[in-house]
Amino acid sequence: MSEAMSMGLLPPSPEGQAQLAIAGVDGDPLRLEELVDKNALRELTDSSSRIFGLVMRVASSSGTILAGPAAPGPILSRLGDRGARVAADVLAGVLGGEHGAGAQTVVAPTGELFRVLRLEYDRRHTGWIVLGPYAAPASIEPPAALFAFAPDLDPGLAREAWTRVPRFAPGRVDEIAAHLGTVLEVMLFSGHKALVTSQMHIASIQESYRELCEKNERLEEAYERLKELDRLKSNFLATVSHELRTPLTSIMGYGEMLAEGVAGALNDEQRDFVETIRGKSEQLLGLIMSLLDLSKLENGTMPVRVSRLSLSAVIGEAVSTILPTAMKKNVLLETEVPPDLPPVLGDSDRLRQVFINLVDNAVKFTAPEGHVRLTARLTMARPAGEPGLVLVAPLRPVIEVRVADTGIGIGEAERDRVFDAFYQIDQSSTREYGGAGLGLAIVKRLIEAHQGSIHVEENEPHGTVFVVTLPAGRPSAVPPSRGGSMPPPRGGSIPPPSRGSLPPIFG
Amino acid sequence: VQLDFAAREVTIKLVYYGPALSGKTSNLVALHGLAGADARGRLMTLETQDDRTLFFDLLPLTFRARDGDVSLRIKLFTVPGQPIHAATRRLVLQGADGVALIADSRVGETQHNAEAFYDLKKNLQTNGLELSKMPLVIQFNKRDLPDVRSEEELGELAARGKEPVYLAIATQGVGVVETLVGLLHLTWEKLDRTHNLSQKLSIDGDSLLSNAAHQLGESAPVSAILAKRMGGTRKPRQAVR
Repeated sequence: MSEAMSMGLLPPSPEGQAQLAIAGVDGDPLRLEELVDKNALRELTDSSSRIFGLVMRVASSSGTILAGPAAPGPILSRLGDRGARVAADVLAGVLGGEHGAGAQTVVAPTGELFRVLRLEYDRRHTGWIVLGPYAAPASIEPPAALFAFAPDLDPGLAREAWTRVPRFAPGRVDEIAAHLGTVLEVMLFSGHKALVTSQMHIASIQESYRELCEKNERLEEAYERLKELDRLKSNFLATVSHELRTPLTSIMGYGEMLAEGVAGALNDEQRDFVETIRGKSEQLLGLIMSLLDLSKLENGTMPVRVSRLSLSAVIGEAVSTILPTAMKKNVLLETEVPPDLPPVLGDSDRLRQVFINLVDNAVKFTAPEGHVRLTARLTMARPAGEPGLVLVAPLRPVIEVRVADTGIGIGEAERDRVFDAFYQIDQSSTREYGGAGLGLAIVKRLIEAHQGSIHVEENEPHGTVFVVTLPAGRPSAVPPSRGGSMPPPRGGSIPPPSRGSLPPIFG
Repeated sequence: VQLDFAAREVTIKLVYYGPALSGKTSNLVALHGLAGADARGRLMTLETQDDRTLFFDLLPLTFRARDGDVSLRIKLFTVPGQPIHAATRRLVLQGADGVALIADSRVGETQHNAEAFYDLKKNLQTNGLELSKMPLVIQFNKRDLPDVRSEEELGELAARGKEPVYLAIATQGVGVVETLVGLLHLTWEKLDRTHNLSQKLSIDGDSLLSNAAHQLGESAPVSAILAKRMGGTRKPRQAVR
């Protein structure tokens, strides 16, 4: 069959696609030695030989013995070295014959009988089972063939050896051969099935992998396009904001001059109108500044002037800014900030902006008679489940500021999204609360610029808590001494942190 | 197809395609039961979960021509029907010589049958094969269940369609031989056209087919078996006198 003109006519497959070649279906015929483990085969031949008292050997389709004893039988062992030598020849002779399908009896030159079974799998020759030597039950005397083959063999010894050749009736040998044929066929089938399964596994994984790679590539392209669009959007925002601010500055300047009567005295109605123009211009300027801030934060060009500052002062300023609004709305605004908080390294303008925003939001979403409570405390960052947590202790000291309101609250699903730019929980055109949806986006980015974090919790029984954590600075970069100088914190007189009032970790 | 002119062997790969649980494996089990010991090999089922095929089933059948000189080796494959096994289906379709689409006759399964067909079309394309050139038969299985699409409806649609359509109850062995013989008939015709097999092997396709049917326990003449189809491009041939 090797010289057969064989054509495997698989159509060409698109590039990169996994190719499945199923053993025994595509390509070369199956070989016994590839499907069955040799050691396992040896166990089968040993065990069968013991049980049936008839030596079993298994050979490949080309006649190579794969399993079975190399030792000669009782007759050949009487021939000494020559016996071992001819044993191989005998087997080769047995297998070398032209055997058709099914089982055949072969008479060895020693007169012993061998039964040879041609193994087929999937209608193809895959190997041989050789049973023997044995002799017919009726054969008492050594056959003449034996003496012809080994004329120098002592007749007494030959007779004794011949009695030890196992006796089998042909029918019994066929039963054993058929049984062992079935066993081997089952082994072949199991081996074939395992082989095909693993081929299929590998091909399926390759094919799935190829598919995923293709998808990933497309996703990557889409992602790159989106990133580019996002960059364009940020640029656009920055440019437009800048271009809007310039004429607005003029509008506000002239408005101010009008209000001051530079162009002549105004009557009450005119003053009212001018004040409205100024108020709305301020509002518009705030929005534009927010947009500029956001784009600066996004492209990392927001200048953060770091200094050692007292958070209590910053919070105090923020609260006093919003207090009039809160009072007008009849919302109780209280703070609880311990005076001995360690300083924070940061930009006081930016942090003030953060807390003004958070407190303003809290008041905005709290109904009259409600209250907004702002508390700060020194605590330890407790990153739960962080890898190697036991190793990274002692934990980082942080200042936690909680802005709690009794307002409408934020649903669980919205808690992360409120920090997205332009995101509004109520996106309807008739929403109750105004704003561009920029405040919290800016707050989050500002806090992150300070290596801090912000998240939303639920207030009991209703309302929202914004929890800000900022890394607490050490009381001083140099050990505080009487001569040690602290950069004066902007925007407030705060007592220098008292060393004695801090937890021992700062010591 | 694998052609071995020296050994006078033709190996054909046929794939039973279709939606999940439409009875592809049942078809193979029935054929395995019907085929004579000379013809059938072991039915190999690769990993099943809850009676569902994970990879494929493989049933090798070997039919010999009347003079025993030419062997037609057929490898019958099924594919896993569930949507997640798309990669496996595509792999099994590689090198297919013919496809039997096993559809579920129940009215509620109509959509799944259509999806399986589109899936087949797409996966053939990915393998560089064209559905329009692929020998294809359609089997409407599970005729014994309630709420099946009526024979009149299917017959009417089959008459307008291109492919031969067979009705079957695979679990009872009804219609499975007709489906296979119908598919073999189309596949042999196609291969004969492309590779000139009849001439090269000096063999008559009809006699090969009738031998195959005989070895599947079907004593009716091939023309009678083929006549059981609904639709199909050509008119069923006249029964042999």
